Amino acid sequence: MDVNVPDARLMPATLAPPAAFSGRGRRFAWTLLLLAVAFGAVPAAIVGTGSSYLAQIAITTMIFVILSASLNHVTGTAGLLSIGHAAFYGIGAYAAALLSTKLGLPFIVTLPAAGLIAALFGFLVALPTMRLVSIYFAVATLGIGEMIYVILLNWVDFTRGPMGIRGIPPIELFGWQADTLLSRYLAVAVIAVACVWVLHRLTHSYYGNALRALREDDQCADSMGINVERLKIESFVVATFFAGIAGALLAHTSAYIAPDNFRFMESILILAMVVVGGLGSLPGAVVGALFMIVLPEALRDIGDYRMIAVGATMFLSILLLPKGMLAEGTALGFVRRSFSRGWATIAGGTPVGWK
Amino acid sequence: MVFDVFFLQQVINGLSIGCVYALMAIGFTLIFGVLNVVNFAHGEVYTIGAFVGLMVITALAPPLLAVVPLVLAVGAVSGVGLERIAFRPFRRFTDEASQKSRAMREATLLSSLAVSIVTREIMMHIFGGDMQGIPSGYLLQQPVAIGPIMVASGSLVIFATSAVMLGALQFLLYRTQTGLGIRAVSNNQLGARYVGINTDRTIVTTFAVGSMLGATAGILVGLYDGAISPHMGFAPGVKAFVAMVMGGLSSIPGAVACALLLGVSESIATEFLSSGWKDLITYSLLVITLVFFPQGLFGHGRERA
Repeated sequence: MDVNVPDARLMPATLAPPAAFSGRGRRFAWTLLLLAVAFGAVPAAIVGTGSSYLAQIAITTMIFVILSASLNHVTGTAGLLSIGHAAFYGIGAYAAALLSTKLGLPFIVTLPAAGLIAALFGFLVALPTMRLVSIYFAVATLGIGEMIYVILLNWVDFTRGPMGIRGIPPIELFGWQADTLLSRYLAVAVIAVACVWVLHRLTHSYYGNALRALREDDQCADSMGINVERLKIESFVVATFFAGIAGALLAHTSAYIAPDNFRFMESILILAMVVVGGLGSLPGAVVGALFMIVLPEALRDIGDYRMIAVGATMFLSILLLPKGMLAEGTALGFVRRSFSRGWATIAGGTPVGWK
Repeated sequence: MVFDVFFLQQVINGLSIGCVYALMAIGFTLIFGVLNVVNFAHGEVYTIGAFVGLMVITALAPPLLAVVPLVLAVGAVSGVGLERIAFRPFRRFTDEASQKSRAMREATLLSSLAVSIVTREIMMHIFGGDMQGIPSGYLLQQPVAIGPIMVASGSLVIFATSAVMLGALQFLLYRTQTGLGIRAVSNNQLGARYVGINTDRTIVTTFAVGSMLGATAGILVGLYDGAISPHMGFAPGVKAFVAMVMGGLSSIPGAVACALLLGVSESIATEFLSSGWKDLITYSLLVITLVFFPQGLFGHGRERA
C-alpha cells in the first residue's frame, strides 16, 4: 500500500475545500439545485414559451422519475431484477382511469387507490415468486408483466381493449383544477418529489442497509437473522405501489391510456434508465430518467436516425460507465474515505492514509 | 373426438413452431451457459438470417439447399460480431468485485439490448418497417398428404433441418475438442482457464454456433410464413428465452422439450381461444412451472454463489 502519494482527498484540513462543498453540504447544494430546476426553471420555461410540447415532456419526465426511482428500490437496492415493472404502472393507470370514469371518484381517492391496487397485485405476484433467485425471478416478472398486458388488451368488456380509455378527468384537488399546463406540471412534480423523498428515506436507513445486505448475498443475510423473504416481498410491494402512483398520474394528465403504453419495451426502458443512471443509486435513477426521456426528444431533428442515436448513446454510456453515471458508492470506498479524513492531519500536514 | 384429424394437424403445426423456438432456445442456452448473461440481441440474429436469405434469393435465385449454408455463415459472422461489440468490452474488468457486481452484469445485459435496438433500427432503414414478401417459388406452403393428414411442406423442412442441426450440435458438443471446451467453460469458467482452455476463443465459438442456429430458424420461418419484417425477431426471442428458463437454463434437452411444449400448447390454444389470448397460455405455463419447479424443469439445485 502506497501511503506517501499526495492525493486531493488527503489534503490537510486547511487546504480542504470549504465545508459547503464537501459531504453533507455538497449533497444539500445539489438537492437545492435540482429543486430549483424542477420548481423554478422548468415552470418558468413552460410559462415563458407557453409550449404544450415542453410541458408534456416535463410531465413525462416526472412520471418516469417515479418509475425509475421505484424500480431502483427493488432492482438496485434489494437486488431483484424485475423486467415487468411497466405492467404495474399499467395496473395503476387502469385503476385510476376506471375508478374515475366509471365510478366518478375524485383524484384524491383515485391516486392512493391506484397505488394500493398496484401494490396488492404486487403482493399477490410476490408471494409465489419470491422463492425464485436471480434470472428465474426476472423471467417470472417478465411472464407476469406480459400476462397483465394480454389481459388489458383482450378483456374488452372491462378495459375497452386496444381502443383504450378516453376522457379521464384531469387532476383536481378540493375544487382546484389543474387545467393549465403549468398547474398540471406542478401537481405532477410535487407528487414526484414526494415519492422520491419517501424512497430516499426508505433506502438511506438501516432498513435500506438490510435490503442491500440481501442484494449482496441473500443466504448470508438470512444466516445473520434478516428476514429475507419478508424484506423481498416488502421491497417489491413498495416498488409496485409507486409504479401504480405513476400510472395514476399518467392517466390523469394525458386523459387517454391504451395497453400499448405498458408493454415489455416500456419495462426495458425503465430498466435502462436505472442502469444508465447507476444501479442502486437513487440520484442515478433520477438522472437516468431525465437522460432517457430528454435525449430522444433532443434528437428529434435528425428524424429517422433518432432511435439509432439513442441506442448508440445508451450503448456508449454503458460501455464507458458500466456502473452508471452516478454510481452507488461502495462500502469499501466509504470506509477508506472516512479513515483518510480522520488521518489526514495526524502527522502535521504530512499526507497519511489509504490511497 | 379430441383426436380428430384437425387436432393432429394443429399438433404438427405446433411442433414445427416449437422446433423454431427450440433452435433459438439452444442458442440462448449455449450463450447463457458460457457467459451467465442473457443475450437480448439473439432475436436480431434471427431477423438478420431471414433478411440475408431473402436478399440472396431475390438477387441470385439459388436452389434452396444453397441458401442454408449461406445463412449459416452469415449467422456465424453476426454472432462473432455481436460478441465483439456487445460482450467482450465488458470482460475487461477481471477483479473479483466487478465480477460479482450486479451492476456490471445488468450492464452487459443492457449492452446487448442497446446493440439489438441499433441493429433493428438500421434494418428498418434499409428494408423499411413493412412486411416483405418472399418470392412464391421459394415458399414452403404446398400441402403434403401423409395418410389422412395434410401437412405444409414447410413443417417437414423445419423438422428435417432441426433434426440435422440438433444431431450436428450433439456431435459438436460431445465428440469434439471444441465441444469439450464449451462444456468446460459453461461448467466453470475460471476452472476451464486454469486447465489451459482459451476461454475467449471458446466464447466466440459458442456465439458463432448459437447464432448459426438462430439465423437458420429465421430463414425457415420466413419461408414458412412467407413474410418477414425487421420486428419479426422479438416474439420468438421472448418465447425462446421463456423456454430456456423453463428448461432450467443450462440444459439443452430441457430447453428443446419446453420449446416444443410451448409451440404445441400455443397451437392447440388457438383452437379454443381467440388468438389474442394465445400468449396468456405461454406465460401461465411459465409462471406455473417456476412456482412448482423454481429451478426450471431440468435445472440443477442452487449453488453457493
